[in-house]
Amino acid sequence: MLKLLKIISRAGEATAKYPFAPYPVSPGFRGKPELNAGQCIACAACTTACPANALTMSTDSAAGSRTWSLNLGRCIFCGRCEEVCPTHAIILTPEFELAVGKKSDLLQQATFNLAACAECGEPFVAAKEIAYAADLLVQSGLTLTDAQRALLSVCPACKRKATIERDDISQHLSPEVKP
Amino acid sequence: MNGDAHVSNLIVPRDQNGMPVPMTESEHIAGLKAALLKDIQRSAYVYRVDCGGCNGCEIEIFSSITPVFDAERFGIKVVASPRHADILLFTGAVTRAMRMPALRAYQAAPDPKITVSYGACGCSGGIFHDLYCVWGGTDKIVPVDVYIPGCPPTPPATLYGFAMALGLLGQKLHATHHVEGEDERSEVGHPGIPYDIRVEVEREARRLAGYRSGRLISDEFLTELQVGGGMPLDECVKRMLSGEDDPRRTEIITRLWDICAGVAKG
Repeated sequence: MLKLLKIISRAGEATAKYPFAPYPVSPGFRGKPELNAGQCIACAACTTACPANALTMSTDSAAGSRTWSLNLGRCIFCGRCEEVCPTHAIILTPEFELAVGKKSDLLQQATFNLAACAECGEPFVAAKEIAYAADLLVQSGLTLTDAQRALLSVCPACKRKATIERDDISQHLSPEVKP
Repeated sequence: MNGDAHVSNLIVPRDQNGMPVPMTESEHIAGLKAALLKDIQRSAYVYRVDCGGCNGCEIEIFSSITPVFDAERFGIKVVASPRHADILLFTGAVTRAMRMPALRAYQAAPDPKITVSYGACGCSGGIFHDLYCVWGGTDKIVPVDVYIPGCPPTPPATLYGFAMALGLLGQKLHATHHVEGEDERSEVGHPGIPYDIRVEVEREARRLAGYRSGRLISDEFLTELQVGGGMPLDECVKRMLSGEDDPRRTEIITRLWDICAGVAKG
């Protein structure tokens, strides 16, 4: 008996103190994905990468907004979104206490404003993404003229149309395309 | 065919079109459940219902009753029959084949019973949500009290979920909806470093260390360069490498150093 108690005391206590004390997770633990919405440019790279479709992006053209939503009930905590995020907006936090009573509490959303195309007026991309693209061009050593800046807020369809109209040769090559 | 008798034999409620709807709880039973939760003076017995999961959730459930997490110190015991259960733990995305057994287990458990939806699949179908043979979540067949997301939930998350189901701990997660403010702007990373170098360094670090660790290492490296500011590149990297005891990191940082040095030379 005494021998047994001695062995027990030497072995110590293996049980984690968890509900009464915070549980220290291991480094690199992948918990709740947290969006730093200020840093997000609504490029939807994460929604393309998400294997479980927990991340979705929906565009409301009428309201000119784009909504990012994360359904934590579907998330498999793989961290692909963190890997692909170009602006480091999504980070997987060590937060693991995610149980909820209502399913609607699992939904995390963020709404971003869309920029309207300078030519046709259709919203085509998040306003922050245009600003970010301009900043990147500046960082890569370009000095943007006003005309170049204006070109950033033209949608791809309008740019294509403008190129066709401008370019005489392309009109000769495809005579059926009349402006 | 006797239509009425046929319908009354079904254990699943149906809508007027004959489509199955989730089971519901009567008000009487909901009252009993509230009373049970208010002063449960005994152990809570858990029966685990597998509705077509991958067995990952089961492994985590059983690791949460090991001595390390020891759910049994709170009286949470896993039992072998739904007849003994207070808590039903549904794992898996509810496949077509396992739906009926799951419903029968639900009906076999005595009222009042607490149902817990366990894992990403139980909460919403998880990664299997759009499969043809999947109902997509426990709440499609039975009323659910607590959802524990995770793929699979870790043992501490499981303990937290049980504590929430028994009303011992409160809910921490709530729905959020951020709306873009007036002058929100996302910052370009490492503004002091030329774009080409940043991309080259990130790419190489990710190629060598994998996507996630690669980014962490390249971030650390670029921050060090930026903080060093006026310091020569070699000094910066030597300072970084001085306390390094991981040969793999040393190798990667040396490669990043080569890239920067090459660009600096022209």
